[in-house]
Amino acid sequence: MFDAKVNDKGELVLSGRFDASQVEKARPIFDNLQKSCVVNFNELDYISSAGLSVLLATQKRLNESGEGLKLCGLNKYIRDVFRYAGFDTVFEID
Amino acid sequence: MQKRFKRDINSLNSIFKFIATFAERHDFDQGVLFALNLVVEELFTNVVKYNAENQNEVLIELEKRNKDITIALTDFDVEPFDITKRPELNLDQHLGERKVGGLGIHLVKKMVDKIDYEYKDRCSKIILTKHLEK
Repeated sequence: MFDAKVNDKGELVLSGRFDASQVEKARPIFDNLQKSCVVNFNELDYISSAGLSVLLATQKRLNESGEGLKLCGLNKYIRDVFRYAGFDTVFEID
Repeated sequence: MQKRFKRDINSLNSIFKFIATFAERHDFDQGVLFALNLVVEELFTNVVKYNAENQNEVLIELEKRNKDITIALTDFDVEPFDITKRPELNLDQHLGERKVGGLGIHLVKKMVDKIDYEYKDRCSKIILTKHLEK
């Protein structure tokens, strides 16, 4: 199951699995973001192209107003997925 | 191992459990498990998306032979959909021009070593081969 909560640093902390069956749950959370935000992947185990599409749409929307997402805490498998997708140039990744 | 799954995005949870059982049986590491989850999800969601009106279940087969894992997904009574003939994704596009369509297939191509496609008697079968590293 996917979940997202804001921690005391104001980061959006994702947890669980961000697969195609979780997009309906995840999309409203990302649609609510209006300002630049750090998305913390420390507790996220898995992401597929469905999850990437939500992040890409959010990044595009935020960039239009000069804002953007910064990602941190990606495990090595998720980091590989971002690299294969060419998303390592679309997001600032810590 | 083989199993048929309802053509529904909510089958993904059962599919991941099926893959986990296969991975445990062969003692695969987390990297292999992650790759299997991803490639099967991408193929399965593609089938659900593009043949939504079809009511047939989708057959998923997983097999390990020597240093190879084969992953086959068969869709019954459908038109051909050969992912090996899909155009390559352009990753050099600027953010504003980036499209998500085709990203799943692109990831599948990156994560396996070989993709074969068979179409016979209206059955569309995609066969992926992943070599296990030492």
